[in-house]
Amino acid sequence: MKRLIEPTLRPFTIFAGTIVVLALIDRGTGYFFSLATAFSVMQLFATLSLVALGLGLSMLIREFDLSVAGVVGLSGCIAVLTGADHPWFGLLCGLAAGIASGALQGFIMTRLQLSSVGVTLGGLLTMQGITYVLTGNRSIAYGNLPVALGLNAPIASILSVRSAVALAVFFAAAAVMAWTHLGRDVVATGSDRRAAMVAGVKTDRVVIGVFTASGAFAALAGVLLSYSLGAASPAALSDVLAPAAAAAIIGGVSVVGGRGHPLGIAAGVLTLSLLRSGLSAIGVSPHVHEIVTGAILLGIGILEGPDLARRVIAWRLNRTQLESLP
Amino acid sequence: MTAAIETERPPWRRRWLNGNARRRAVTAIRLFAFAALAIWSIATPGFVSPLSLSALMTAISFIGCVAVGMTFITLTGNIMSLSLGVTLSAAALVFLSSLALGIVGACIVAVLFGVAVSGVQGIVIGYFRANPILVSIAALALITGISELVTGGQRVYPTAANFAFFKSRIAGIPVTTLIFLGAVALGELILSGTRFGRAMRMVGSNWRAAEAAGLNAATVVTGAYLLAGAFSAVSGILLAARYGSGDMELGAGYDYSAIAAVLVGGTAIQGGEGSVLRTLIGVSVIAAVEVVLLLRGFPEELQYLVTGIIVLLVIMLHTIGGRE
Repeated sequence: MKRLIEPTLRPFTIFAGTIVVLALIDRGTGYFFSLATAFSVMQLFATLSLVALGLGLSMLIREFDLSVAGVVGLSGCIAVLTGADHPWFGLLCGLAAGIASGALQGFIMTRLQLSSVGVTLGGLLTMQGITYVLTGNRSIAYGNLPVALGLNAPIASILSVRSAVALAVFFAAAAVMAWTHLGRDVVATGSDRRAAMVAGVKTDRVVIGVFTASGAFAALAGVLLSYSLGAASPAALSDVLAPAAAAAIIGGVSVVGGRGHPLGIAAGVLTLSLLRSGLSAIGVSPHVHEIVTGAILLGIGILEGPDLARRVIAWRLNRTQLESLP
Repeated sequence: MTAAIETERPPWRRRWLNGNARRRAVTAIRLFAFAALAIWSIATPGFVSPLSLSALMTAISFIGCVAVGMTFITLTGNIMSLSLGVTLSAAALVFLSSLALGIVGACIVAVLFGVAVSGVQGIVIGYFRANPILVSIAALALITGISELVTGGQRVYPTAANFAFFKSRIAGIPVTTLIFLGAVALGELILSGTRFGRAMRMVGSNWRAAEAAGLNAATVVTGAYLLAGAFSAVSGILLAARYGSGDMELGAGYDYSAIAAVLVGGTAIQGGEGSVLRTLIGVSVIAAVEVVLLLRGFPEELQYLVTGIIVLLVIMLHTIGGRE
C-alpha cells in the first residue's frame, strides 16, 4: 500500500484516484464515461503535455524554464505567418525558433553561470516582445483550413493527429530517459551537479541540451495549437505556464531536481485534463477546476517543503511538553 | 532552486578582468547607459513637456506599487511571485464591493485582503521552505478560480462611489503619483531604517547565516510577503479608482512588468542586495524608454521587445559585475 504513494508511482495513483472520484460523482449517468469525454481529454492533453514535458525536464535538472510560455506564443505566430501555403515549412520555422531560443538561453546560462529563472524570465519577456512585433499586436488568422481540420480529426475515436504526435514524443522521451546514457546523465546532473561533473558528465552540455529540448517541445505545442485553432495571437497563449507547472509537479517531478519521469508527467497532464473535462462533463463550473489545480499544487508544494518535517516535529514536541507540565 | 543559483563557477574556468576591475567596468557601463538614456529622452521633442511628464508619472504609479512589493520578495531570496497581478485584481474587486463602508473603510479592507492572501503564501514559503515560484503559481490558480467563482466572471461596478479624491491633484501632482511616491518612501524607510529591513537583506543573502545569527528567517520571509500583498492591494485600489470598475483582467501581466522593473533597477535576482529606490529607478527607466519610443513614432509593440532585451542584458550585466 505504501508503495502507491511513493514518488515514482504517485502520479499514476493520483490519476487512478481522479477517475474513481469522478466516476463516483457521476454515479452512472454516463456523462463522464463517454468517448466524447475521452476525446476532449486527449485534446487537452495535446495542448498542455508538450509544454509540461519541457518544463518538467528543466525542473529535473534543477532549473526552471519560464520561457516556455513565450516560446509557445512565438513559434505559434511564426508558423501561422510563414506556413499559410506550406504547413511543413511553417512547422520547421516555428521549431527552429524554439530550438534557437532554448539553445541560446542554455548557452548564456552555462557560459555566464547565471540562474535559469533570471535568464528565462528575460527570454520570456523578449520573446513576448518579438511576438508582439511580428503580429503587430493583432490576432492573425490561419487560412489553411484543411490543416486545422486534419489536425483535429478523430483517429480511432479518441485520438487526433495532434494528440498522437504528443503521445509519440512522450514515448520517445521516456525511451531516451530509460535506456540511454543521455537519460542517466540528465538525472545525474539534476541530482548533484558537482558529483556528476566529477564523474565525467558534461553537465554544461546536458543543461544546454535540456533547454534546447524544452524549447523544441514548447515550439511544437505552439505550432500545433495555432494550426488547429486556425489563429495565433500574442496575448492568448500566455496562460499555459501555471497548468504546465502543475502537471509536471503532479506528475512526480521534484523541484529539488533529479526526480521525475516523462511517463509520470504524462500521467500528471492526463489527471489535469481529466479534471477539467470531467468536471465540465458533470456540469461543475470550470473555475472549480482551477481551484482544484491550485489546491493540489499548494498541497504538493507544502509536502515537498524541506522544513515541513522539522516544523511538525518541533510542534509535536512543544505540545507533549505542554501536556507533561504539572 | 536556490541551490541552482548558488552553483559555483568551476575554478579552472578563466575569466576576463579580475573582480574589482570588472565591477568598475560594469558600473561604468551602467552609468553610460543611464546617461545615454537621459540625453536621448531630453533630445526627444515633446518629452520634457508637462503633459508627457504627467503621463509618465501616472503610468509609473500603478506598476510601481506592485514593483515595490515585488522588491521585498526578490530581496529575501524568493526570486519573484507570479500571483501579485491576481492579488491586485482581487483586491480591486474587494475594494469596489466594500465601498459601502466608505472609501477609507474600503481601502483598509482591500489592503487587509492583500495582506492575508499574500501572508498565507509567506507562511508556507517561510516556515516550510516550499518552493516560492511553485507556491505563487498555486496561489495564481486558487485566487483566479475563487474570484471568478464569486463574481461569476462579471465586471464589478461600485454601488456608490466618489473617486474624485483619486483623480485630484495636490500642488499640481496627481494624487496617484503622490500615493506611489509615498509607497516608495515607506518601503525604503522599512528597508533601510528598521531592523526588519536589515533582517530581510540578511535572510536574502544567506538564510543559514541569518538563522545562526539569531534571526527567525521564516518570520522575516512572511513579513516580506505581507508587505508585498499590501503594496499590490494599494495598486489595485488606484487602478479600481481610475477605471471606476474592475475585473480579474485588471492586473494581468503586472507580475512580469514588476519583476522587470525590480531587475532593471539592479536588485539582485538571487536576493540579499537591492533597494526600493533602485526599483523606482527601474520603473522610471522602463517607462522613459516606452515614452521615448512612442514619441519618436515607433510602433507600440516594439516597447515589449525593448523591455525584454533590457531585462535580459541587465541580468547578464549584474551577474558579471556582482560575482567575486
